[in-house]
Amino acid sequence: MTELERTRGRGAARWVRRGFVAPTVLVTVILGLYPLVFIVGASVTRSSLGKPFQEFVGLAQIVAAATDTSVLGALLRGVVYALIVAAASTFLGTVTALALWRSALSGSASRVVLLLPLALPPVVVGVLWRLIFTPNGGLIDAVRRVVAPGSDPIAFLSDPVLAIVGIAVADIWEWAPLVTILVFAALLGIDRETMEAAALDGAHGLRLLRDIAVPAVAGTIAAAFVIRLVLALKIFDLVDVMTKGGPGDASSVPAWLVWKAAIEQFDVGRGAAITLLLALVVTIITLPPILIARRSHG
Amino acid sequence: MTRSRRARVVSLSSAIIMMTGAGALVACSPESGDAGGEQELTVLFNQSHEGASEWLAAEYEKKTGVKINPVLSPYDEIASNLTLDQQSGANTIDVAAPWYVSLGDLAADGTIQDLTDWVDETPELDVDDFIPSIWEPYSTLDGKVYGIPFDGDTHVLFYNKEILERNGFTTPPATWDEYREQAATITANESADGIYGASVFGQQSPLILGASFANRLAGFGGSFLDDGGAPALDIPEAIQAAQALVDINDVALPTPAETDFGAGNSAWFAGKVAFIENWTDLGVQTESESTASPVAGKWGVTLLPVGEEGQEPRASLVAGFSWVIAANTDKRELAEDFIQFAASSEANGALLTAEPPTGIDPSRLSTLEDATYGEKFPEIQEVNRATLSDALAWPTGKNSTQAAQVLTDELAALIAGTGGTAEETMQRVQEQWETLLGDD
Repeated sequence: MTELERTRGRGAARWVRRGFVAPTVLVTVILGLYPLVFIVGASVTRSSLGKPFQEFVGLAQIVAAATDTSVLGALLRGVVYALIVAAASTFLGTVTALALWRSALSGSASRVVLLLPLALPPVVVGVLWRLIFTPNGGLIDAVRRVVAPGSDPIAFLSDPVLAIVGIAVADIWEWAPLVTILVFAALLGIDRETMEAAALDGAHGLRLLRDIAVPAVAGTIAAAFVIRLVLALKIFDLVDVMTKGGPGDASSVPAWLVWKAAIEQFDVGRGAAITLLLALVVTIITLPPILIARRSHG
Repeated sequence: MTRSRRARVVSLSSAIIMMTGAGALVACSPESGDAGGEQELTVLFNQSHEGASEWLAAEYEKKTGVKINPVLSPYDEIASNLTLDQQSGANTIDVAAPWYVSLGDLAADGTIQDLTDWVDETPELDVDDFIPSIWEPYSTLDGKVYGIPFDGDTHVLFYNKEILERNGFTTPPATWDEYREQAATITANESADGIYGASVFGQQSPLILGASFANRLAGFGGSFLDDGGAPALDIPEAIQAAQALVDINDVALPTPAETDFGAGNSAWFAGKVAFIENWTDLGVQTESESTASPVAGKWGVTLLPVGEEGQEPRASLVAGFSWVIAANTDKRELAEDFIQFAASSEANGALLTAEPPTGIDPSRLSTLEDATYGEKFPEIQEVNRATLSDALAWPTGKNSTQAAQVLTDELAALIAGTGGTAEETMQRVQEQWETLLGDD
């Protein structure tokens, strides 16, 4: 076979590979591009649920959303909520992963138990925690009746402060196991000889975890934090099931506000404008952790 | 042609060939939805009308041979589901029964069809038999008919006779002040045993918290709109109604903000609350074997309390549902025939007393006076007659759905203690309603 024939053969093989990949790329571009074009289009036009793109209004809806105190409140609440929930999930998930890694409980049974919250649909998680928080016969109320009989019930989900805390607890319970699984998998990949060498040098217990294990999986922990942050910024299901954004707007977060505007109030234009603002905020918030995660991996 | 350009051409060609192939396969598949010429109709129902959907589907098929495919949706998502179905081009829904408040938005979006000519040309519909206070808001927008009443749905006050007797009350409350006093006494006496004075629907949804406000607004003599059709929510009656909701919060089943239909009704059926404002069909359900309620035979029902002694009680049409025809259905005639059957006196009367209960209340004069209904539930029939005179109805024009949500959100903030005073709350609602309902 001549050099020319070999080159032609390699070129043909490359086209075949590209040909097979092309439909996937095309579908991905269409699936990603169409919603983006729709959202931008809806945000600059008067759009209702049944009749999108009725009349061009320029940036009016985006400006209105950006200056609306309920939208700004929801964005701020959503960011603070996401940062706290992501940090708590990452911390608890990492601690659990380290405990599993160092304990005899790291068998398949404990991992399956840990995965259970992940396997539940978010709506089911919301219903479950709503029942736990119910002030008249819920799990916490049952404990209260035993521990402090005669005391007033605690209404978590109808208290302006505790409502979002209740959602955060359910959210952390649901997603911290994801962090655990990711970090645990990374810990299993640590070179055994490194650990043995560290142990010979006198690193044991917490010091071994702090100085050797955690730095070795820092990139994975950072990546898990980013994933968790994005999931928390998109929170909707738990809010819908547990508080409907209330009481008042005490647990109103951006995704809930978008749904309410577009689906409940038929105002797709306003919903799209809030979505664009949310996209901007998500980009700004997630950029630093992504850069840190990349650096850690590097 | 460069190598990269050739590669792009090959990639694009491959994608087009594959997508065309997939399209051809779909085109070759047998058409769905038409089983060998058998006629079918897909009807979107409120989830709590599941029993009614089964009864209507069975009876209509028996009568005509047409198969009804009921699709169930949460009560507050019927309008948006119908709109998305039509707007997306899926067009799977032929007929729906949304909350009557959404008629204006559905009509403005072109999601439902104008039924005026059909109603005018169809004497069999017997429009004059619909309860007048129900017919107008459930059907008509700017002189055109878009809906036909399905479920009357007026709230009344149910009370547990045993709990009242235990606490020394011989009659149910006539005013909202008495209602709070009796509820407070009962809660103080029996909350340690898990029994409370009242179950108040307060979850942040227009059909739930909005309904509780509407009951009080009717009782204090207010209306959502004034005689000229402008919002009237900053008047003293509306402020009193909002304050009454705040006042009942501390003595009601914990806690109104978390009480939806499920939680509220469960507490009633279990005998854990003395009062509940509910649709008249709650009495039918309480007596039904399906709920196995210990309250069966031990309850009473009366008209909603009023603001002051001697004031005329007024029915509150909080959550009625109307039949509509989807804009893009190609089964208009079949849809009309089904609605004519489902909204008939015969169907409405049968649904009132069907077992298991269907959740349907009277929408017609003839069914309100139905002999079986009167024989089985004379007390409920009596309180339902309140709809014969004036009744409070929500606005139904464009943006009414959003207006109802605005009111609900503000009331929820007021009850949670973050909305300021009742007066400030209703002032904010008034301003937002003027903007929303003032739009074209």
